[in-house]
Amino acid sequence: METFLQVLVSGLMLGALFAIVSVGLTLIFGIVKVVNFAHGEFLMLGMYLVYLFTTKLGIHPLLTSVIVAPLLFVAGVATQRFIIQPLMSARDDHIQIFATVGLSTALINLALLLFGADIANTPASGLRTPITIGPVRVLLGQLVILAVSIMLVIGLQAFLKRTQTGRAIRAVAQNRAAAQLMGINVNRIYMLTFGIGAACVGLAASMVAPLYPTSPNIGTYFVLTAFVVVVLGGLGSLTGAFAGAMIIGLIDSFAGFYIGSDVREVVVFGMFLLILILKPSGLFSNRLSLSHVSP
Amino acid sequence: MRKTVTDTTLDTAMTQARSKTLPWKRIGLFAAGMLALLIIPILIGNQFVSHIFVTIFIFAGLSTAWNIVGGYAGQLSLGHAIFYGIGAYAGIILMNLGISPWLGMFVGAAVSMVVAVAISYPCFRLRGPFFSLATIAFLEVFRVLALHFRELTGGATGLMIPLKFGWEWMVFRDRTPGLLIAFGMLMVALGVAWWIRSHRLGFYLVATRERESAAQAAGVSTVKVRLIAVAASAALTAMIGTFHAMYLTFIDPSSVFSLTTSIQIAMFALIGGIGTIFGPLVGALFLVPLSELARGWLGAQALGLHGFVYGIVLVLVVLFMPNGIVGLTGRFFNGKNDEKKAQAAPIAAAARASRPPIGNDILVVDHLDKHFGGLHVTRDVSLTLKEGEILGLIGPNGAGKTTVFNMISGFLKPSSGTVKVRAADGSMMMPVTPGDFAAIGVGRTFQIVQPFAAMTVEENIMVGAFHRHSDVREAREVARETAHRMGLGHYLDAEARGLTIGGLKRLEVARVMAMKPRILLLDEVMAGINQADVRRAIDLMLSIRDTGVSIIAIEHVMQAVMSLSDRVIVLSSGQIIAEGKTQDVVRDKQVIEAYLGKDFVHAEA
Amino acid sequence: MLRLEGIHAGYGPTTILHDVSLEVKRGEVVTIVGANGAGKTTTLRTIAGLIQPTEGRIFFEDRDITSTPAHEVVDLGITLIPEGRQLFADMTVEENLLMGAYRKEARSRQAETLEHVLSLFPRVRERLSQSAGSLSGGEQQMVAIARGMMARPSILMFDEPSLGLAPIIVQQVFEVIKAVTSTGTTVLIVEQNVFNTLKASDRGYVLENGEIVISDTSEALLTNDHVRQAYLGI
Repeated sequence: METFLQVLVSGLMLGALFAIVSVGLTLIFGIVKVVNFAHGEFLMLGMYLVYLFTTKLGIHPLLTSVIVAPLLFVAGVATQRFIIQPLMSARDDHIQIFATVGLSTALINLALLLFGADIANTPASGLRTPITIGPVRVLLGQLVILAVSIMLVIGLQAFLKRTQTGRAIRAVAQNRAAAQLMGINVNRIYMLTFGIGAACVGLAASMVAPLYPTSPNIGTYFVLTAFVVVVLGGLGSLTGAFAGAMIIGLIDSFAGFYIGSDVREVVVFGMFLLILILKPSGLFSNRLSLSHVSP
Repeated sequence: MRKTVTDTTLDTAMTQARSKTLPWKRIGLFAAGMLALLIIPILIGNQFVSHIFVTIFIFAGLSTAWNIVGGYAGQLSLGHAIFYGIGAYAGIILMNLGISPWLGMFVGAAVSMVVAVAISYPCFRLRGPFFSLATIAFLEVFRVLALHFRELTGGATGLMIPLKFGWEWMVFRDRTPGLLIAFGMLMVALGVAWWIRSHRLGFYLVATRERESAAQAAGVSTVKVRLIAVAASAALTAMIGTFHAMYLTFIDPSSVFSLTTSIQIAMFALIGGIGTIFGPLVGALFLVPLSELARGWLGAQALGLHGFVYGIVLVLVVLFMPNGIVGLTGRFFNGKNDEKKAQAAPIAAAARASRPPIGNDILVVDHLDKHFGGLHVTRDVSLTLKEGEILGLIGPNGAGKTTVFNMISGFLKPSSGTVKVRAADGSMMMPVTPGDFAAIGVGRTFQIVQPFAAMTVEENIMVGAFHRHSDVREAREVARETAHRMGLGHYLDAEARGLTIGGLKRLEVARVMAMKPRILLLDEVMAGINQADVRRAIDLMLSIRDTGVSIIAIEHVMQAVMSLSDRVIVLSSGQIIAEGKTQDVVRDKQVIEAYLGKDFVHAEA
Repeated sequence: MLRLEGIHAGYGPTTILHDVSLEVKRGEVVTIVGANGAGKTTTLRTIAGLIQPTEGRIFFEDRDITSTPAHEVVDLGITLIPEGRQLFADMTVEENLLMGAYRKEARSRQAETLEHVLSLFPRVRERLSQSAGSLSGGEQQMVAIARGMMARPSILMFDEPSLGLAPIIVQQVFEVIKAVTSTGTTVLIVEQNVFNTLKASDRGYVLENGEIVISDTSEALLTNDHVRQAYLGI
């Protein structure tokens, strides 16, 4: 029983980690309608920045988010402005896919050039302190991630619902042409959204870095799971992504414990494929050709 | 300015594939170029240079194989390393059992084909990035499984090939035989790619990629052709994978089932020119030496440099030359095509034969209902088309006419009701899919024209002609003849996207006519063509009817409706409100009201 | 107020409008009549800035807006109610209306405008908290018109407001349009329901194959032989 509880809680903690990495991805996915294959590399960049700020300047990792999130916001805006925006009107998906795949490849190898293949360890600064609650143990940093991921989802949700800019973002996602007719500068909304999405992983980086060793490939590790989460939760749905992250976290944790840690990924990706194939509704709403079905 | 660029992707492949009468000069040039590629490294005789060339051949071959799926079929797989890995493992595992990789290669290919079909079949429902994501997920699954089943794969420690040298084992102390084999494999891949591209399969693949619904309407079994492409691509990839494993002498799961390899394979094709025959080769020729030289010169310091360069080049190519290197030269040579977008010639005057009598029911529609959620688009629509008859379907915009067409051509499943079609042998059938309808002889056009944008006019019509003629030459004949009839004779080599709306409407009709349908569904084909052509188009329709084809025409041009139709059905708000002889129907009060409003009826009364 | 001079425009390489010139004066209701595919929608979309003309110029209150992007055109006071409603289906009716008031000038007077618009559309008021996608076609059209009015535009353009609606609903839509025009708003309207529209407007243009072939008062057009034959079917 105790083991079960421990596995359960570990799963939830893992879920919170996936959630905080996925939130930005689902935002970009749902609104700009671009699959950002470089999302994991934004996280990786963020983690290296956290590493640099903590080791070189001695800032507490959590505090670095104040600098790292804005920096990634700028990186996101620049990516949208200079890479995605010129390709928005491209008819073929492959153009956009390759653009972000190329960016991802470039960033991974840039990190390899700058930092080498060795692992960079960000000081834990107390975040790896174990906390015992009844029969289960968690790390302080994991609780922080859980708290922040919940606040992030609630905060973003409120922003999208209650502010004029937030509503404009949703309007653009639902009907780009109509949004233009309302006087919304669609390109600016896309840049803003991409920036926010990237800033989210900047925030995530400051919490992930103290717990996980940073390496050039760390992004790939996280982003594949983040894609699973986003698809599971439904495109662009923040609460969906959060729920999806929790489900994947639990599956990962239980599969790792009861089936074997070396095949837990098979379970996670197997589920991903099942969802993609069996529950396609809502998955390609923006690309489905409806031109021959006029009501 | 960006809008059209992606469409030129196929320019060169098209021009090359189009010419059955391939100019000898070009063949000579190609042969000389390829030969040079082989001879240069042999002459230089340097180990490092040979290694670069082997790597070029291998990646060019892999990329060419990928291009069959990623380029022609437009299914952007990022999981091709699966097949590469299967080939590699099959080769080494069997070699350890004492079986030559020459045999192992085919075992790997066979396994890959099965895996490819099994993976792709469910994934074809996914579009764009989702397909790519699914292939990545499959790749991850394979990598983890390869790590898990240690007895078979050696797990994380990997597999070493047993040291047996000689042609029999595909392993050599000398570089030259390796060069020859890699070159041979590249040639096989190029040959298969060329064959596919220049035969019906290739046309079907590109048509499916460009407009899946239009391809289905032309009778293309879109799933089947893509599965064939995937199987061929996977088999080639696996065979090259087997050789590469022998060449490297060592493999492990993370190096063969690697996303990086998958991305590289696709990247070479994109940079060289996606969807073109030689693009992948050109891409590999440019990039492989670049990265290998960087690695050779800068050594370990430059860890990541070549990947960084790849990434940057990829982003730049996507942004500034999305058609790749081949696309760039293609545009240079084929520039003249773009200027030919004048108005199409008049529709040829049609010689009228005597009209065959109206026969039995050929299409019977019973109580068709369609609703999307609570919104009823059609209610209780029943109609009958007789052999040799022209039935006009009219009604205000949004009345549900196109929805009816979609239901009687298999594109939309009715919520209730049935559609029966008389087959050529006289029996009544109930077709379901667009493919069934096409097979039984129902051809349709789309109100919103659906050209295969990257194909020429001739190729567009050929896709229709392939329905009855599998031979490229015959299909081309039929296409040309049809094009001349439709007044598109001067535009055979023009790209479809350069036509005017009127031209595209004709192309739509030409493509369906080339299928030689027994029942023709025409959706507003007169819209946007000028008055003189309306008259000729009417004559053409009548002459088509006189050859025994039965027609249902949705039409807004009243002149056409009046002079074409034997009977007219009026649809308003999804229901049939009038039916009968044309003259009677247009005088019907309800009809005038539906079109012009109640006030009008009162005002004129 | 709004003037088009020799506009050529289309989609990609396809030119749909050839040398279209027209004018709308302050307070006028102007109709564009034409068959399917004649270029009516293209004309409105070009004015709205969704399509860039390849030739010609567009002036609004003597200011050249030929290459002004769509969102800035709205800021200047030109609002298009697009064909097929184009509501934000997953947002509530209220949110849709608020998006209508996104334009700078309208945003500050949002509450006041909302009250005014809802007084014109009592049915819309009842539906405020429902998601726009759940409404019937007629109700959606009402919301689309209301949303357009929320921008407090100087000129309101309607693209086929009666498209796909049952005859009874069409009558209601026309009553609403009459109510809008009676407030003195300048209107440019494209509509297949030629008779009703001309009845409700001051002047009209006939567009055929992307060219203006007749320009006259609505009364004259209603009795014009060509118009009667081609568009009224008499």
